[in-house]
Amino acid sequence: MTATQVQTSTMKPTNPWAKRNKARTRDVVIASLLPGILAVVFFFVGTALGATIDPAVLLIIGFLPAQLLAAFLVGRKYYGRHGREDALLIVVTIFLSTFVMVLLLSVLWSVISAGALALRPSFILQNSHYISGTTSLEYGGAGHAILGTVMAVAITTILTVPLGFGIAVYLTETGGKARGVIRTLIQAMSGLPSVVSGLFIYSILVLQGWQPSGFTGSLALLPLMLPTVSRVSEEALRLVPVDLRNGALALGSPTWQAFAKVVFPAARSGLLTAVLLGVARIVGETAPLVLTTTYNNDTNLNPFNGPMAMLPTFIFGYIRNMYDTSIQRGWGGCLVIMILVGVLFVGARVANRKKK
Amino acid sequence: MVETLLTESNAASHLEARGVHVWFGQRQVLQDVNLVFPSNQVTALIGPSGCGKSTFIRTLNRMHELIPGAGFAGQILLDGKDIYEDGTDAVDVRLRVGMVFQKPNPFPTMSIRENVLAGLRLTGKKNPNMDELVETSLRRASIWNEVKDRLNDPALSLSGGQQQRLCIARSLAMDPAVLLMDEPCSALDPGSTRRVEETIEELADQMTIVIVTHNMQQAQRVSHQTAFFLSEDGNPGGVVEFGTTEQVFNQPVDPRTNDYVNGHFG
Ligand SMILES: Nc1ncnc2c1ncn2[C@@H]1O[C@H](COP(=O)(O)OP(=O)(O)O)[C@@H](O)[C@H]1O
Ligand SMILES: [Mg+2]
Repeated sequence: MTATQVQTSTMKPTNPWAKRNKARTRDVVIASLLPGILAVVFFFVGTALGATIDPAVLLIIGFLPAQLLAAFLVGRKYYGRHGREDALLIVVTIFLSTFVMVLLLSVLWSVISAGALALRPSFILQNSHYISGTTSLEYGGAGHAILGTVMAVAITTILTVPLGFGIAVYLTETGGKARGVIRTLIQAMSGLPSVVSGLFIYSILVLQGWQPSGFTGSLALLPLMLPTVSRVSEEALRLVPVDLRNGALALGSPTWQAFAKVVFPAARSGLLTAVLLGVARIVGETAPLVLTTTYNNDTNLNPFNGPMAMLPTFIFGYIRNMYDTSIQRGWGGCLVIMILVGVLFVGARVANRKKK
Repeated sequence: MVETLLTESNAASHLEARGVHVWFGQRQVLQDVNLVFPSNQVTALIGPSGCGKSTFIRTLNRMHELIPGAGFAGQILLDGKDIYEDGTDAVDVRLRVGMVFQKPNPFPTMSIRENVLAGLRLTGKKNPNMDELVETSLRRASIWNEVKDRLNDPALSLSGGQQQRLCIARSLAMDPAVLLMDEPCSALDPGSTRRVEETIEELADQMTIVIVTHNMQQAQRVSHQTAFFLSEDGNPGGVVEFGTTEQVFNQPVDPRTNDYVNGHFG
C-alpha cells in the first residue's frame, strides 16, 4: 500500500493519446491549405493576364478535385486504406456543409440587409392607411399585417393541432382499420400545392357568398398545416418506448389514462416540435391568402369580418409595385416574418425547458 | 373489491393455468400449459430463450392481448374465476395481478415519489396517506434508504438497479394479489440482484409470485416450485417438468430437465 503510494506520487499525469506526430501535422496543414491557396493565386494571376475565370467553375473543377487529391494522399500516407477513405469523406462533408451554410447565410443576409432599411418602430406599430407606393418609409408600417398573421395563424393552429394530434393518436395508439387510408390521405395532402388549397376555400366558401376574411384565410391554411403536424407528432409518439405504455397498463391503468399521463408527457417536446414546424409551414404562405383574405391597408381586429392584411399578402402587395420604397417595405415584411418565427421558436423552447 | 384495494391488503390469490395455448398470427408458440400457483408460493419459470416464458407470463395478467396478432385458448383461473371469461375487464385483472418487466421502465417524466404513486393517479384512486404509502412501498422494495432524501428527483436519475426496485415499489403500491416478474434481475448488478431476491422472499408472505429467470441459482434461492419450459425444433413450447424446486433441480424426471439445469444446453 505504502509502496504504491510512493510510486504514484512520483508519477505525473500525461496525455499519451494527444501526442502529435510533427510530420503528420505538417502534412495535414499543407494538404488543407495548399489547394485553396493555389486556387486563389490561379484566379488572380489568370484575371490579371486577361482571362475571365468564373469563380464557381474554378471552385468545382479546380479546387475541389485538388483538395480531394491532397486529402487522399495524406490520408493514405499516414493511415493507409481506411485513412484515404476517411479523408475523402471529410473533404466531401465539409464542402457540402459549407455550401449549405453559405446558402442559408446568404438568404438570411439578404433579408436582413434589405429589410433593415424599412425596419423601425413605426414599421411595427403603424398600419398602411393613406400609404401609397411612393410614400417615404418614415410613414406607415406592417402593424396591421403582423396582427393579421398572428390572429389567422393562431386560429389555424387552434383548429389544426387537435385534429393533427388526433390523427397521430389514431395512427399510433389504436388498431383502427382506416389507418392505411388515413396515412395515404395525409401523405397526399402534404403534396397539395398551396394555391389549390386557397382555390378550394375560395370556391366552396367565398364564391358561395362568404366574405373574404381572416377566418377564410385560416381555413385555407389548415390543409397545409395538418400533414406536417400529424406526421411529425406521429413520429414523436412512435418514439415513446412501448415499455412505458405497457408499464402503465400493467398497473391497471385504462388505456386513455396511460396515454394521457405517461405517453403524451413523454412525447411532449416532440409534439411541440410538430406544432412549431406546422406554424413555420404556413406563416409565410401567400398563395392561399390572395383570394381568401385579400388585402387591407387598415387594421382589422375581427378575423370574421372582412378582408384582413397578413404579412405574406402585405409583402406580395408591395413588391408588385415597382417603386423602391414599396419594394423596401416588402423586404421589411420578410424580415418581420423571420423575426416572428424566431421569437416563437425560441420562446416555445424556453417555456418547454422551464416546465421540465 | 376496488374500493378496499388500497386500505386493506389484498390476500394473496391462487392462480391456475389450464390448457393454455398461445399463437402469434398463425404460429403457435405455446401448447397445452397446465400450471398451478398456490397462494404465497414463489414459482420460477425457467427454460432456454424463445421457449415462450415471457409469452406465458403475459397471459397471466392479460398483457398478451395487447400484441397485434395475439391468439389464446385455455383458462387462467384467479381464485377460481377465469380472467378471460366474458365480461371480465382486463383493467380489473391487472389491478390484482401486478407485473415487473425485464428492462426497468420508470416513467421518465415523473419523480421518484410520483412513480410510486403513478398507479393511483392512473387508475383515479385516492389514498389518504400518500406519504405513508410511498414509504411502505419503497421499504418493501428495499430501496427506501437510498432514496428517502431525494423523493422529488427524476426517476431517471437512479441507477439501473435502483430503477428496477422503484418499478417493484410502483407495483407494490397497488397492492397486487399476484406479482409477475419477467427476468427482473437480468439487467442488474449482483448487489441489486441480491436485494431484489430478499424482497421476493419477504413479499411471498403477502402475495403469490411468478418469476421468469435464466439464473439457476436464483431459481433455487427464491422459489418454492419450478416449471421448466422447452420448445424443440421450432415446435410450440410447453412445460416439460413442473414440481417443487428441490425436485426439479435434484431429481428431475425428464432427462432434458437434467441437462438444462446442469448447463448442458440452452
Ligand atoms: N410480439 C411477438 N410477435 C410474434 N412472435 C413473438 C412475439 N413475441 C414473442 N414471439 C415469439 O414467441 C416465442 C416465445 O417468445 P418469448 O415468450 O419471448 O420467449 P422467452 O421469454 O422464453 O425467451 C418466440 O419464438 C418468439 O419469436
Ligand atoms: Mg423473455
